Amino acid sequence: MRRWWILGGAVVFVTASGTVAVSTPKPAVVKTVSFNRDVRPILSESCFKCHGFDAKEAKGNLRLNDPKDATRDRGGYRAITPGDVTKSMIMGRITTTVEEMKMPPPHSGMKPLTPEQVEILKNWIQQGAKYEPHWSFVAPKKPAFPAVKQKDWVRTGIDVFVLSRLEAVGMAPEPEADRATLLRRVSLALTGLQPMPEEIRAFVASKDPKAYEKEVERLLASPRYGEHQARAWLDAVRYGDTHGLHLDNERSIYPYRDWVVRAFNEDLPFDQFTTWQLAGDLLPKPTIDQRIATGYIRMNPTTAEGGAIEAEFLAKNTFDRVDTFSTVFLGLTVGCARCHDHKYDPISQRDYFSLYAYFNSTADAPLDGNLLTPAPVMRARSHAQQEIAERYESAMANARASLSLDEVSAWAEAKKVFVPNVGNWEVSGPYTAANFDLAHTTEFGPEPGGVEDPGKWRPLAIRRGQFVTVAGKENSAGYARTTVTSDARRDVDFRFGSDDGIRVWLNGKLVHDNKVLRGVQTPVDNVRVTLEQGTNTLVVKISNGGGGDGLVYDVGDAVSDQAARLVALKARDPKRAEAGLRDLYLTSGPETSATIAYRKAKADLDQLDSMIPFTLVAEELPVPRPAFILRRGEYNLPTVPAYRRVPTILGETPKDAPKNRLGLARWLARPDHPLFARVTVNRYWQAFFGHGIVKTAEDFGAQGDWPSNIELLDYLAVRFAETGWSQKAMHRMIVNSAAFRQRSVVSNAKRDRDPENRMISRGPRFRLEAEVLRDTALHASGLLREELGGRGFKPYQPEGLWEALGFLDSNTARYVPDIDDSIYRRSLYLFWKRTSPHPIMLTFDAPMRESCVVRRGRTNTPLQALITLNETAFVEASRVLSERVMREAKTDDDRLTLAYNLTLGRAPKPQERALLKQSLTRYRARYAEDPESARSLVTVGFAARDASLDLADHAAWTMVCSTLLNTDEFMSLQ
Amino acid sequence: MNDHTLDPKREFELGMTRRQLFGRAALGIGTAALHRLLMGSGFLAPMAAMASQDTRHGGLPGIPHFAPKAKRVIYLFMNGGPSQLDLWDYKPKLHEEYDKDLPENIRMGQRLTTMTSGQARFPLAPSRYKFQKYDNGGDGVWVSELLPHTASVVNELCVVKSMWTEAINHDPAVTYIQTGSQLPGRPSLGSWASYGLGSENENLPTYVVLHSKVTRGNPDQALFARLWGSGFISSEHQGVSMRSNGDPVLYLSDPEGLDRKTRRDMLDDLAKLNQGNLNEFGDPEIAARIKQYEMAYRLQTSVPDLMDLTKEPDEVFAMYGEESRVPGTFAANCLLSRRLAERGVRFIQVFHRGWDQHGNLAGELPIQCKDVDQACAALIKDLKRTGMLDETLVIWGGEFGRTVYCQGPLSRENYGRDHHPRAFTMWMAGGGVKPGITYGQTDDYGYNLVDKDGEVITPSIDHFTPGAVHIHDLNATILNQLGVDHTKLTYRYQGRDFRLTDVHGHVVKDLLK
Repeated sequence: MRRWWILGGAVVFVTASGTVAVSTPKPAVVKTVSFNRDVRPILSESCFKCHGFDAKEAKGNLRLNDPKDATRDRGGYRAITPGDVTKSMIMGRITTTVEEMKMPPPHSGMKPLTPEQVEILKNWIQQGAKYEPHWSFVAPKKPAFPAVKQKDWVRTGIDVFVLSRLEAVGMAPEPEADRATLLRRVSLALTGLQPMPEEIRAFVASKDPKAYEKEVERLLASPRYGEHQARAWLDAVRYGDTHGLHLDNERSIYPYRDWVVRAFNEDLPFDQFTTWQLAGDLLPKPTIDQRIATGYIRMNPTTAEGGAIEAEFLAKNTFDRVDTFSTVFLGLTVGCARCHDHKYDPISQRDYFSLYAYFNSTADAPLDGNLLTPAPVMRARSHAQQEIAERYESAMANARASLSLDEVSAWAEAKKVFVPNVGNWEVSGPYTAANFDLAHTTEFGPEPGGVEDPGKWRPLAIRRGQFVTVAGKENSAGYARTTVTSDARRDVDFRFGSDDGIRVWLNGKLVHDNKVLRGVQTPVDNVRVTLEQGTNTLVVKISNGGGGDGLVYDVGDAVSDQAARLVALKARDPKRAEAGLRDLYLTSGPETSATIAYRKAKADLDQLDSMIPFTLVAEELPVPRPAFILRRGEYNLPTVPAYRRVPTILGETPKDAPKNRLGLARWLARPDHPLFARVTVNRYWQAFFGHGIVKTAEDFGAQGDWPSNIELLDYLAVRFAETGWSQKAMHRMIVNSAAFRQRSVVSNAKRDRDPENRMISRGPRFRLEAEVLRDTALHASGLLREELGGRGFKPYQPEGLWEALGFLDSNTARYVPDIDDSIYRRSLYLFWKRTSPHPIMLTFDAPMRESCVVRRGRTNTPLQALITLNETAFVEASRVLSERVMREAKTDDDRLTLAYNLTLGRAPKPQERALLKQSLTRYRARYAEDPESARSLVTVGFAARDASLDLADHAAWTMVCSTLLNTDEFMSLQ
Repeated sequence: MNDHTLDPKREFELGMTRRQLFGRAALGIGTAALHRLLMGSGFLAPMAAMASQDTRHGGLPGIPHFAPKAKRVIYLFMNGGPSQLDLWDYKPKLHEEYDKDLPENIRMGQRLTTMTSGQARFPLAPSRYKFQKYDNGGDGVWVSELLPHTASVVNELCVVKSMWTEAINHDPAVTYIQTGSQLPGRPSLGSWASYGLGSENENLPTYVVLHSKVTRGNPDQALFARLWGSGFISSEHQGVSMRSNGDPVLYLSDPEGLDRKTRRDMLDDLAKLNQGNLNEFGDPEIAARIKQYEMAYRLQTSVPDLMDLTKEPDEVFAMYGEESRVPGTFAANCLLSRRLAERGVRFIQVFHRGWDQHGNLAGELPIQCKDVDQACAALIKDLKRTGMLDETLVIWGGEFGRTVYCQGPLSRENYGRDHHPRAFTMWMAGGGVKPGITYGQTDDYGYNLVDKDGEVITPSIDHFTPGAVHIHDLNATILNQLGVDHTKLTYRYQGRDFRLTDVHGHVVKDLLK
């Protein structure tokens, strides 16, 4: 390693040779340098990689992130001497022309500092080299309202900060957009759907000075609001309907998605919204919704690929949870610290694994078993369903209480019968074969009468009714054997469940052979055997095809056996015995008024539940799994233990908070948390204006974007906490602001000075998201079917997309589109296959939902044009929209006006009207000559066609409507 | 980059330039009228002028970093992990050790998948296939009887026998080799190429993905959209699948009952309406949208022309094999790859599935090879014939190799092999790689990498190990041939400059001319 003293010597040489010129000072006015605004970006970009937070990397033993280290005496010189540029070694190293001395080193690939940057560093040192903590690590304080001139423009606190910024640079805001534009804008922003003509008409005509605010309230109260706002959250938490890795089977977690919609609609305060998701299971007596919300924890992609190592995926799953947690709630990327201390932000590897320790101890298995409902899961009952269920449950409890213990005991005494004694088990295997058939039929050796090889057997505890793994591999077999003792020669019923095939020998004789592919975890194969008096040998072979394998057995008549066990238990544990006997009597005893009532209620409950989907939930293990700092982030290279705590730079969890996910959630919602509120309100701003105040919504660290208006950001953050974390209140504040209500017209001057509208010198204008595009097209045509929640639907999709990728064995290998009107549901409810999402979504920039995304791109590509021109749903929407305007209006002029209102929320301008009427005439003439083509065009899609319409006319109007659905205006919020 | 340090307008224009005018999104400026229309909007003029100086469409300024050896890549991906021991890595001594256990000093406690980690034994399975040494103009190369056609072009191939990776299961391994990370979320190799280099044809996608039919019914292993996805880079760089059934590019065809003239009329109306909105709002996104529709219209012509094989002479089909007449076969996709290459498509990736022989290798591997062998060789010959081989880098291989020991029942005639990440074989051709060489070697068991003296080498991801080629090294080398320094093609996301090769990867100079 190169030592600083060597470098020091070099600097002396450099100085002596006169090549150090600490940048020729320009006669510019020396401004006060802000460390955070001016200096940190330079250090972060050009220095911290080697001289930063990563202690192990610190080259030349110098860390410029640390003021103490940067200014310490290094034997006669300092890297930085506050107030004295000539005695600050770094300036020489930055400005030298000697290649070997130059910083950053030319071979590093980093660019040399610009003269402006050198000047900033120089001024900073001259002004005392004051460090400041990174802005986003300091709790926001409510800023004072700055004085503004154009006071009558201001409607909300937001506007003061926006206006102050504009006035500072001599710009004025835009006037309010016209009412029709405004209503379309705010409807799209809040609900993701455009207003309908009658709503526009009423709003435009209203004399009420509060008309706009009333519209806002109407939209906030609409269930559509939650559906639209949920979308961004589902991107962030990477919601999908499949596991995401390898087989990519379906998983049942959509009740979580529906809960997110509900939470927005009911305005669940954001601190609770967060707490329920992070730790709903750890709340006292959690409600069903609080548990459903923990689906957040389970959302990471999972696998059960043959050959996968559990420990490896436990680590990978947890990494994903940590990365998502920190991006969503902290706006920080901590992923770098998985392998080494973060280079740009003060997040150490220990910090990373301390967070990791919060998330590695849930009860779900690291491998998902390719199951629809990998445990833990729960039935996601609604409030109403829960009430009904509780009625049944109380009926069942009453029935139980009414039982007489004597009656129950007498029944049990009469019922109990002999149960043979099953000894300890041993297992052997796995024995692999080329395929399942061979695994089942091949005699691998441990069959009775086969060559006895004691070395191949190992003990395994197998208890009655308990499912255990025997083979452990795909296409393999495993054996289990034990002894069974009987007091006499007698017939006994054994029952077996197996995954997959099973063979059973008693005393060397094959008594059962079931070559079947199944995953049965309850004993279902009944096998009656004749036991000899004394010891009998029992051998079981399990043959496995794909996935996991297993064996479960039981013996004796289940009820009699249970009765015997419970009677025997009475002496030791009368309470448990009594409870067990009551249960047994209720399910298996004679018909009495109590048991009849019980069974009726139970059957009703089961029926109710059979209609209610399961959803994946999180549960904490009773004893946390130990966590370790993993060398280079490798699961099999643990070093020292890591304990639950939050990153040092971000303070600590409240003193009385538990050391678990609940404590973590409580820490987030602390009023002095520097990031939680800021990161969240920034995402709201992004949703309403197209970009955040911090453009890098996913990174508030040193490498992230500097906020375009930090006072505004802090104002919103503090207000958020003050409103009791009401998401609706924040959204209301934003859309009611004058800033949001500006015209979105861009003047040449503003395009030069504020090209991206980061100063909010005008209203928002941006292309709508994939989901909104599809939904608004359906809405215009009237096809949209609005229904909250439920299993994901499968709309039109070109054939073969899933088949080209998927596993034949996967239950999402084939795409079978729905054939009812569920294909017209809102895109939020699309069945989301994570390894192959719907092409409309992907083409319009939706993420795959395999990893956390808090900011979607907005591209503009020809493939998008092909979708809105040719995709079945868009063409169908065009022709059904044309049916609607033809039905609801009579003249071409009126029809055109209606079509414009349904799509763009306004009437056509004269030149638009002229253009489209001319085209209409041309299309009509063309299609009149070619009725077959007309028929083809107007029958695209499942929707029935209004047969009374003239074919050519209908086709012509279809073309006009399709034109409108393809305008940039239709695709944009403006 | 922090906004306040830059002139905002300049920053914005740079962004516009990258994202649209140079981006695939832009794909040229439409008709002369449209051109005027855009110029008319004033602010676009300087950028349009910039665009016209370059025949390339998209890509980053400053890239290529140096003169490229290859203009494009055709990557033949054998999904599942082809058995190097039965195709390329000839181990004659194994026959003497049939059914003996893999010596512990060879395995050295390396981790195994849980499909075989429970096996009581690791019996050695020598390949049942005959190998022959072919003259490659140098030291010669052993090739299995399963690849007779490929063997006929070995003088063009650079066969790398010392590929290695860390991932031992399909999903992580294939994600790793395609995106540089075992976890989802990163951009794929082809999307990096699209992002950095842009396209040479404004009328076709920059990164094209072709899926091949597999003769065996069940292709075993899955593919995932992320393998050609663009991760956090703009979605315009994701691979575009060209399909053999239905529309070759999704939604390419106009709806039935809508002829080209009507489409043209409709697009003309649309341009006028959009222009009106542009005049009113002045948002450059509207101008970009107008161009996208023109581009879409042209795609509707250029893609059918690309897919139309009727003008290919019979001898071409004979070369690729008769199944190349059947759309969607690997052979047809190889022929299509050549046509895409001719049209300047930057990155072409052909996927062929079904190479996961855990058992019944003898029943499956010959069919797999038959699917691809002749077409692979034909592609090399065809590129050579058309003078494109020098500037086209062709790559063949899968995500990892297979074990020398048997999984499941072993006989001389049939056996299965588990995943083996520590040594596997890929080959490259054209595009500035050395033809007619083999690189790297393995021990007598094909298990560990060894140096020239047969000493085991333990490669590390942290530094370059001569003789060993990590998948990051492969990716670094591919980018190098395209004129890209893999350490400098970066994308800032979440505060970090991400690269395809993460913080790893070295260009393997020994493979290059």
